[in-house]
Amino acid sequence: MNKLLNFKRSMPLIIVLIFFAFTTQVKAQDIDLLLKGGHVIDAKNNIDRKMDVAVKAGKIFRVAADIPASTAKKVVDVSGLIVAPGLINMHTHVYAGSNPGFTDGTSSQLPDAFAPRAGITTVVDAGTSGWRTFPDFKAKIIDNSMTRVLAFLSIAASGYSVDKAQENIAEMDVQKTAETVNKYADILVGVRIGRYDGTEWTPFDRASEAAKLVNKPLFVECHLPMYSLEDQLKRMRSGDIMTHAFENVSERMTVVDEQGKVRPFVLAAQKRGVLFDIGHGGGGFWFNQGIPAFKQGLWPNSFGTDEHRTSMNSGMKTMLNVMSKYLNMGMSMPDVIARGSWNAAKSIKREDLGNLSEGSVADIAVLSLAKGKFGFVDSGNNKIEGDKKLEAELTVRAGRIIWDLNGLSANPYK
Amino acid sequence: MRTKTAGISEFIQHKFVQIVHRIAAVLVLILIAATVQAQEIDILLKGGHVIDPKNNINSKMDVAIVGDKIFRVAKDIPANTSKKTVDISGLYVTPGIIDMHAHVFHGADVNSISANSPGGLQADAFSFRAGVTTVVDAGSSGWRNFPLFKSQVIDRSQTRILAFLNVVGRGMVTRYDQQDVTDMNPEMNAYMIKRLHPNILVGIKSAHYWGDFTSVDKAVESGKLANVPVIVDFGEHSPPNSIESLFMEHFRPGDIFTHTFSEHAISETAGGRESIVDVKTRKVKPFVFAAQKRGIIFDVGHGAGAFNFNQAIPAMKQGFMPNTISTDLYNLSMNAAMKDMTNVMSKFLAMGMGLQDVILRSTWNPAQVIKRPDLGHLSVGSEADIAVFNLKKGNFGYMDVRRTKISGTEKLEAELTLRAGRVVWDLNGISVPEWQMPAATN
Repeated sequence: MNKLLNFKRSMPLIIVLIFFAFTTQVKAQDIDLLLKGGHVIDAKNNIDRKMDVAVKAGKIFRVAADIPASTAKKVVDVSGLIVAPGLINMHTHVYAGSNPGFTDGTSSQLPDAFAPRAGITTVVDAGTSGWRTFPDFKAKIIDNSMTRVLAFLSIAASGYSVDKAQENIAEMDVQKTAETVNKYADILVGVRIGRYDGTEWTPFDRASEAAKLVNKPLFVECHLPMYSLEDQLKRMRSGDIMTHAFENVSERMTVVDEQGKVRPFVLAAQKRGVLFDIGHGGGGFWFNQGIPAFKQGLWPNSFGTDEHRTSMNSGMKTMLNVMSKYLNMGMSMPDVIARGSWNAAKSIKREDLGNLSEGSVADIAVLSLAKGKFGFVDSGNNKIEGDKKLEAELTVRAGRIIWDLNGLSANPYK
Repeated sequence: MRTKTAGISEFIQHKFVQIVHRIAAVLVLILIAATVQAQEIDILLKGGHVIDPKNNINSKMDVAIVGDKIFRVAKDIPANTSKKTVDISGLYVTPGIIDMHAHVFHGADVNSISANSPGGLQADAFSFRAGVTTVVDAGSSGWRNFPLFKSQVIDRSQTRILAFLNVVGRGMVTRYDQQDVTDMNPEMNAYMIKRLHPNILVGIKSAHYWGDFTSVDKAVESGKLANVPVIVDFGEHSPPNSIESLFMEHFRPGDIFTHTFSEHAISETAGGRESIVDVKTRKVKPFVFAAQKRGIIFDVGHGAGAFNFNQAIPAMKQGFMPNTISTDLYNLSMNAAMKDMTNVMSKFLAMGMGLQDVILRSTWNPAQVIKRPDLGHLSVGSEADIAVFNLKKGNFGYMDVRRTKISGTEKLEAELTLRAGRVVWDLNGISVPEWQMPAATN
């Protein structure tokens, strides 16, 4: 009887205890995904050391040493691996479709076919669409991809089609281009001048004007054979981006001269704030440009691959292959990761991306650094040898695992 | 976009290049006449371990290519008889891999599952980097839209694309189309295969049918008329149709059951595919062995939902092996447990299948199944479709579609892929020269 009374008396306490236990239990597992034991490289937050990364509701919840595993619903052991912000591929052609060529065409590639497996969570389309074709691009590709697709809008109305209509100046409409960029400001990150065979500067100037109107960068591709490199760079503002920086083709003067020196006006442009993207592609990266330039301080700001049908199986292969080239050329890992994430994000004024700050969208790349004997090929079919190569182990997009090479996050078969 | 020859006027440049090529070709012919003895081989793959199941080769051999053909496979072919020699010692050389189940009718119709759809992938983006030189599209198109598939995709691809024609004329557009028995026309199917495209169309696909055996029977009827096999995805019946009846009564020897290792949770309402391994006893159903003996072909067709270790591992342990290994590559499978052909092949290595068996089931077996004995081997005179693999050692994980994993110590990686004698993939640049810093910059 006495015991029972005691029990009755202590009931409220028990209830409180149970309730407390229950709430701490909830609190104990408020992390959805915990990446434990990896080496975090996050240029924005100046992190280059062993840290755990916690994800909750699609966002980065916490980055800290030794976050207890018991506080997460799912823990993935990533020790020995690099944890980086989801990579940003600054130069792609992803308006894939049925037509010949790039715009809604078979030369473009589906973003999800190459991005997750290379640790990429954001691709930037390099003007495969223009003000007339962008809505179709958005409906067909952008809205249907797991990969985040951003885009430069071409000043050419159609984007990057095979027909000569794209060179029709009357269609290069500054207002319509600016209006489209503003209307889709969460997707469109700038204006691109891509192909023009004429001598007059109207197309270039209109692209530049549209970019200025929307306060976003101008992205300059190389198929502008009648414009001199020096004149192009002179017309570019700080923050504008020159892609195919290290190409060696007839269409454009090289950045490195015959004596192996980076041309002074190129260095001057860099000093002024013009940014250089690799834009590797099938013909856009040559060691006789990239290596002297690297040694002389002309570094790429971003590792755009110029992903498309004919580049994908050439010396380019994947963005991680391109990044690995620079690792083996002597660029440090933090510098390589920064250019694959935070630097790229800043250059398109998307500082919400390319970092692992708490509250940011949980776009994460977990990379392994393979050691061995590797070869890396340029657009001239020359190779350099190297001893390290990046590989994507796990890719997380908005908190969801979209690539898991070796089943790190999977349960063992019984 | 960048290509090496992109220029001021690509068209004019292209014409000019053509003329130059012609002049060069004449010069080369003259030169060849003079030096044919010394360097008659174009590419020599030297020092690799050749696995060519058709020719019963499993040893160190050199492989010589002239033009687009295999010229010789022998020990110690002298390097000085070749214009180009690639040292592949330590690597495996196999016939170009054949992926017998893929969806590559890529296009822009977002409302379509596989026909002219983003759900179908670009073959070149997945093939060469996995050692694959031939993919067989599994019924994405029917006789009505095969011409579009051919002009839009097949003719523009570097990968050799063959295809099973869907038994339904409209191909794989929606689930509803797949039920339309009025669009299953054996005469049309056979005409398209036999009369119009016998070099591309290798069979008939029946898939996603909800009813009785009509779709299968129409496919078999088409197959009889065209003298080709049928491949069946038997996965959407509610309740499931009997696979014993499919194998023993409806199929002919040589017909193909794909998604062999799928396991669906089957209830009264949710249909699916009857599994080959009994889900209670974990024993391979006896008629499955009998069916394989009868000549029924069991294809992996991994896909996003059709490969389960609970089926594959017991089956392999009980001595059942699939006849052909394939991916069922499409948008939902590419980033999941499937990944690519080398990953699926390596998964079978991890489950205990020998390397030679894995290669057999990815080369010569599928070639025979689709009645293309010209493919899947390295016989002298055959087209030089070749894969060179690195068998990586380490700790690897392989998942099934439920995201459970097994570990393995080996993984195939495609080092070099040749299609018709041309290098189309070179992972580490083993076929190209070292870059030299120009003198001026040293």
